[in-house]
Amino acid sequence: MSTDQPNPGAASAAPGSPPPLQPPGIKQTFRDGWRVIVELWWRFFDWLAVVSWKTLLVVYLLCLILAAMLHRPMTFFFFVIVSVIIKVVAGGKRRAELTARQATQRAEDEQLERRVLEARLQALQAQIEPHFLFNTLGSIDQLIQTDPPRASKMQQSLIRYLRSAMPQMREGARPTLGQQIDLCRAFLDIMAVRMEERLQTVINVPEGLKSAVFPSMMLQTLVENAIKHGLEPRATGGQITITAEIAGGQLTVHVLDNGVGFMPKGNEGVGLANIRERLKALYSGRAELIIGVPAAGGTCATIKVPYEIAPVTA
Amino acid sequence: MRATPAPTAVIVDDERLMREQIAGRLKEAWPELVIVGEAGNGREAVAMVGSLEPDIVFLDINMPEMDGIKAAQALAGRAHLVFVTAYDQYAISAFDHGAIDYLLKPVEPARVALACRRLRERLQQKPAPMDELLEELSQRFGSSGVKPREYMRWVQASVGANLRMIPTSDILFFRAEDKYTRVQTEGFEALIRKPIKELIDELDPKEFWQIHRSTVVRVDAIAQVSRNFSGKQIVHLKGSDEKLEVSRSFNHLFKQM
Repeated sequence: MSTDQPNPGAASAAPGSPPPLQPPGIKQTFRDGWRVIVELWWRFFDWLAVVSWKTLLVVYLLCLILAAMLHRPMTFFFFVIVSVIIKVVAGGKRRAELTARQATQRAEDEQLERRVLEARLQALQAQIEPHFLFNTLGSIDQLIQTDPPRASKMQQSLIRYLRSAMPQMREGARPTLGQQIDLCRAFLDIMAVRMEERLQTVINVPEGLKSAVFPSMMLQTLVENAIKHGLEPRATGGQITITAEIAGGQLTVHVLDNGVGFMPKGNEGVGLANIRERLKALYSGRAELIIGVPAAGGTCATIKVPYEIAPVTA
Repeated sequence: MRATPAPTAVIVDDERLMREQIAGRLKEAWPELVIVGEAGNGREAVAMVGSLEPDIVFLDINMPEMDGIKAAQALAGRAHLVFVTAYDQYAISAFDHGAIDYLLKPVEPARVALACRRLRERLQQKPAPMDELLEELSQRFGSSGVKPREYMRWVQASVGANLRMIPTSDILFFRAEDKYTRVQTEGFEALIRKPIKELIDELDPKEFWQIHRSTVVRVDAIAQVSRNFSGKQIVHLKGSDEKLEVSRSFNHLFKQM
């Protein structure tokens, strides 16, 4: 008791000893001090809100020792009671606020990350194969001489295909299944002229599903794969069937071919991996790509996405 | 043998329109050339050249059954070859240094005329063997020759009543269970008949590690490795609560660095 009594006295005497420095303003010093105290108080408050009871207990123990040394049992009990009340009453709310803020931040980061990723992947998916382009132009060139009306039709298919397959043409509104089917139809029309009897196409998609949202270029990749890896390697070719249905609230689109079937070792390029990545980025786990092996041979690729009607644009 | 023979040629392309186009252009550029046959793939082409013995073969590269490079390897020395291709950046750079001529689709009349002029000069000589060039081409195309070892990238497995191709990058682990091997992904499990012993030879050792006689795990799916009370290493996975035991003989995989 007697040991700590002189201290406050010394402290109060100290400001008095250098009087010339005082004019800058007691008020200013006071205000700064107050600000620091408020700041410290909120820090303490935050700390109290998130600290575990176990840690708090250890702190109380240390305080108890300190209080015993200083012979201030009342101060100690006051501190304990006040802090417990604060922690119980305000702590929960404060903690919820902090976690909510962190969660929001994280969600925003993730969403941004996902959007950037999707944009990058979409650009990759959009590549038009030069091989396809030159071969098609060659066929059109030949048809101009032998069958001009067919040449004109084929050229129109090519224009339709390019229009929707060019990345810069695909910005803006969300793509629909109908648009993606039209793109595939243009592509398949071209391939049918080139491959002749080696390619048969069946597209069986209910009219009502054409307004459903469906990511761009994925169907196209599946159709291209079916031709390139399924039908083209076979001298006799085969058939491609595109169907769509709603199953369990999901829009399910199948691309079936009766070609040579899937090669477990073949690294068939980035197409399928890209679809998987994009589905993850767009739907985070609520969509999937399944490669099935039909009993009759060939390959059946299926994309499932949440069923969603595209907003009508004026 | 042939008395002032008219030169003969075979056109090989899997698309009829392309064959027609080449035939048409050749007729303009070289009226005396007789097209004795057309083939739709490499195998047909090899058979046709065997029976018709043409002087020249116009050969597409991308074809079913047997591609143009393989066909050329079978035909080299038996006929003068001209490759016809839509767009093959690797091939073109190889042709530019080699003895084989090439045409780009859609074929242009002027370019066909040039190729014909060169062919007329070369017809006096025997067709060049050009093994070296073809070997280089086939390697660039990856159609044959020495290739890096290919590992399994897809697993064909039954999920319920259906057969599916599961990409190995989706698989968390394989585990031997009775007569089958269980394939576990984040979302489902499937069964295959192939035993672990055979699987481990076909999987990429950089992608999958065997950690137990009956367990193979995908390295990237490992979340952490802990020790249990008896000192055994336990693998924890991302995307599954299942824990996998590491047998003593595989402990070295997770030795601390």
